[in-house]
Amino acid sequence: MVDFGLYDAKAPTIVGYRCLTCGAVYYPAPMVCGKCSARRDPVTGKGWETFDLEGPCELLTWTRAWNLPEGYTKKYLLFGIVQFENGLRASGQLEVEDPRTGMKLSATVKESDERPGNPVNVFVFRE
Amino acid sequence: MTANVGIVGIGHTRFGNSSEYDLADVMAYAATDALQDAEFLERRREIDQVIVGNMASGLFCHQSAVASSLVSRMDMEPVPAELVENGPASGASAIKIGYMAVASGMADIVLVAGGEVMRKVSGWTATENVATMLHTEAEYNMGLTLPAFGGMFTRLYMEKYGLTERDLALLAVKNHKNGAKNIYAHIQLPCTIEAIADGPEAAVVNNYIAEPLRMYSTCPVSDGGAALLLVNMDSPKAKYFKKQPVRIAGIGSATDTHCVHNRKDPLRLEAVRLAAEKAYRMAGVGPADISFAELHDAFSILELAISEEVGFFERGTSYLAVRKGETDIDGRLPINSSGGLKAKGHPVGATGVSQVVELVRQLRGEAEEGRQVKDPRYGMSVNFGGFGNNVVALICAKVEG
Repeated sequence: MVDFGLYDAKAPTIVGYRCLTCGAVYYPAPMVCGKCSARRDPVTGKGWETFDLEGPCELLTWTRAWNLPEGYTKKYLLFGIVQFENGLRASGQLEVEDPRTGMKLSATVKESDERPGNPVNVFVFRE
Repeated sequence: MTANVGIVGIGHTRFGNSSEYDLADVMAYAATDALQDAEFLERRREIDQVIVGNMASGLFCHQSAVASSLVSRMDMEPVPAELVENGPASGASAIKIGYMAVASGMADIVLVAGGEVMRKVSGWTATENVATMLHTEAEYNMGLTLPAFGGMFTRLYMEKYGLTERDLALLAVKNHKNGAKNIYAHIQLPCTIEAIADGPEAAVVNNYIAEPLRMYSTCPVSDGGAALLLVNMDSPKAKYFKKQPVRIAGIGSATDTHCVHNRKDPLRLEAVRLAAEKAYRMAGVGPADISFAELHDAFSILELAISEEVGFFERGTSYLAVRKGETDIDGRLPINSSGGLKAKGHPVGATGVSQVVELVRQLRGEAEEGRQVKDPRYGMSVNFGGFGNNVVALICAKVEG
């Protein structure tokens, strides 16, 4: 039996990219490796592998933004830049009561449709 | 490649709200002013090339091909015309391309016009439109905006160097004081430190936009146009122009990572430093030779950070110079004599051209009473695209008669 109702149960992810020629990691995806100049084919991904970008990270800086883009109906949103244990960094939304630079967080991914009709995967950094 | 390029005409609309007008008309008004200033309006079809700087007419005005439109509004056909887009640095990039057209030998007389009409849409939509310059997947999709990056950059600077919100307010007081005297400024009202930082109502008057950035640390959304007429001063055509030119002595530009989080040191603006170094090298001058500067203060923190990257101040010390008044009109190194983006306004495609119009006005000695820099020789502008990922620095020199 196939339960088509489960099609949307797949957890949203954001991926990092690893060049299999030299091992360098990236987020977001490059088209050419900055270290060894290996090309990345965005269709086949040949020569590269992807990995879920999530888990422990450190907050480098943050803001509470009161003027959000079109579609966003919240009064404000917190945003931050974090660094993962593998050295990659990412920007995303912050759901922390009392943010402090340097605090340890965990990166999760959720699907957001705040721009209606354009659902996207976004980082949410939490304690 | 260097060439002897002079600016012989300038034009500028008053920045502010031109939302009832067509973008091409706004730019054409500034361009016509520049041609009149150069006493070349009747001979405008002898111009070799028109270069237009505009960031997002498609988004803000649902309008494309604005360079062709501009030429037609000014009855200048068949002069060639092209559009240059480099985000909020489109204006300075248009000047750079105009300079390159002269330096290449393809043109002797180039009209550069920059413009943007942003207020046809709501503030909500304007924030959205400007955010499209961010990395789509890794920044824009997260809901991030340019002010959000300004806020995060400000927090890094504060925590590292001890800058306070009051220091940012001092920058607003300085720039609004200058803007109040500039006939082209969007906001021609001074503000006091009591009103926006020290007084009991300050937190209400000067509310947060992207913490720790407040409203008075953030530029307004503006409409407007600015224009320059460039001439090859070594060409026989230079004799057409009677006014003493202002020479473009140096231009440099550079790029940085699209994603802000991918910079090795997120507090460094490498593209600013590199662009300035190139401009200094080309002009044969250094930071100590610059008499005054127009720096891209879309957020007040950028005036400080840019002033350090271009070598005016040691890293982390520029705000101390502001406290001492060193960047006031009568200070050691006036910065943003026009009022800057904070008070003069920031129609994104026009800003880079507008900055150079201010350099020319100051070098000609034509700024309004109370904001004329004393005996300037070299003026510098820095026009900042994205959140510092594509920057153009430009140095103009006074030509002694």
